[in-house]
Amino acid sequence: MSGTGLKILRAVGSHGATLALLGLMALVVAAGLAFEIEVADWIVPPVAGLLVNLVAGLVGQATLRAQPMLFAFHAMLGVLALLVGLDRLTALNGHVEVVEGAMFDPALAVVEAGPLHPYALDQVAFVQGGFEIRYLPGMKRRETVSLLRVPDGAGQWREARVGDDDPLIVGNYRFYTSFNKGFAPVITYTGTDGRSVTGAVHMPSYPLRDFDQGNAWRPPGWGPERAPVKLWLHLPEPVYDPNTAWTFRKPSNPVLIVIEGEARQELLPGQAAALAGGGQIRFDELRAWMGYTITANLFNAWMMAVAITACLALAVHLWGKFQSQPAGSPAGTGVRHAE
Amino acid sequence: MPSETILLDLAALLYLAAAGVAVIAAIAGKARDRTVLTLLAAALALHTGAIALRWLRLDHGPYVNLFEILSSNVWSLHLIALLASLGVRRLRGALVMTLPVLGVLVLWMMATPARDTAVPMTYQTIWLPVHMVLGKLFLGLVVMALGLCLVVVARRAFGWRLSHAPDCAEAEGLAHRVMLAAVVFQTLMLVAGAAWARDAWGRYWAWDPLESWAFLTWLAVLAYLHWRPRNQGATVLNAALVIGIYVIAFATFFGVPFVSLAPHKGAI
Repeated sequence: MSGTGLKILRAVGSHGATLALLGLMALVVAAGLAFEIEVADWIVPPVAGLLVNLVAGLVGQATLRAQPMLFAFHAMLGVLALLVGLDRLTALNGHVEVVEGAMFDPALAVVEAGPLHPYALDQVAFVQGGFEIRYLPGMKRRETVSLLRVPDGAGQWREARVGDDDPLIVGNYRFYTSFNKGFAPVITYTGTDGRSVTGAVHMPSYPLRDFDQGNAWRPPGWGPERAPVKLWLHLPEPVYDPNTAWTFRKPSNPVLIVIEGEARQELLPGQAAALAGGGQIRFDELRAWMGYTITANLFNAWMMAVAITACLALAVHLWGKFQSQPAGSPAGTGVRHAE
Repeated sequence: MPSETILLDLAALLYLAAAGVAVIAAIAGKARDRTVLTLLAAALALHTGAIALRWLRLDHGPYVNLFEILSSNVWSLHLIALLASLGVRRLRGALVMTLPVLGVLVLWMMATPARDTAVPMTYQTIWLPVHMVLGKLFLGLVVMALGLCLVVVARRAFGWRLSHAPDCAEAEGLAHRVMLAAVVFQTLMLVAGAAWARDAWGRYWAWDPLESWAFLTWLAVLAYLHWRPRNQGATVLNAALVIGIYVIAFATFFGVPFVSLAPHKGAI
């Protein structure tokens, strides 16, 4: 390499550049805290800069190469940065609500995936069974146990228990129960042509939005020019007392309130009513829905292995330094660094 | 059987007594290392009893609310100070600075209501104790480095003699070595925290306030470790940098978890 090239390499890989880039990275993180900017996006330039600085340091700093464990630590940091980048390109994060008795429908999942994510959510199948959530006094949520039926690969279904920290793992995907859950009235709409369609309308999260248990619903065949029907869930008896321990349960006496313009009708389970806009609505029953967080990180195991290797390399390096330069010795106050 | 409260009160008194003896001995120009370390050991024994009783009663360790976190950190930081001082004799001279700093934590702990707690579900993973132990080792080493650097600043800025403490260059050099060890535990702490987050919430990093502060602390340590080798002569500045790292670490450990609603708080 020419003298000028070597100078540039050393400048790019210098401690000064490292410090400047670390400072820039700290600024981005601090800005994320102060202004709630998306740190994950803004941190890419300083990370890329540090990666270049690191590679230049590894190539251009002879004393760094002379200390194999310190070299390995820095090299592993570089590999870790690359793996994090790959992970971001291939990761998937999302959430979905699944009503009791229904199959997971990937079309209902709200997901955000990296451009290189190998999408396979449509190959995930499970049926939502019942679930139990315990609360302590003061509305402190404890265990969630959600029962699922999952294909066992041999043509049968097996039961799986899923919780907040105990995911259902299917391929690259992990499904965790979330704080999000609620009620879903199952209704059957019979159109003016006599055809019936049954479905569930998810009410807002419960008990988080206890006093907002309503949703708008447009019956099948109703165009956007027609105002949707408003459905409200009235729970005459309280489901819980915030001051005592309780378990999430469906109320025994739900009332579905159907509002069309000025018209208001109250339905108990099994009751039906005619809609002014045409057709008939029947309130079949009340079910619950469970919310899941979906994640996929393809490089987790690799990142963990590289991170631990990096730490071990640094520990071995420092141990060697401390052994050869005991505390209090003239050379023992510092670690010789690359020039 | 003595109650948790009595044991904790006695332990707090002994912690403060150790700090007091260290300070008075330094002012008098005398070494009272043995007395200080004996008081520390006694305080730790009583405090261990208090923590054990509470643990047995609540069926979980001290890591949920502010009182428990203060209590476990007061315990672990004093334990690290004791063990480090027994292992590296030159560190004993910095106890005159380390113990009063820890004394502030003791007073804070005693002023904090010892409310009973329940463990959030996301805390039930093997990664949590690993993460916490590594974090306490990191903070303990930072506190030791802080004591050494306060010795430097007290001498240079205020003209204190502190005749039994290491000289400024040695104190600052020791602090640097302690910080080198600290960064290993800090990095492992971040890795274990990411593994815990992955277990608990399905993601290994989300830039929540505590993660961001922990990352800032790590960047500060890395910056110091890259700065210091080329500026070994800048003793006071280097010491000030370590003090700055302690301030950031202190905010991360004792501030952020209790002012943010992020998952790290164990929000339920």
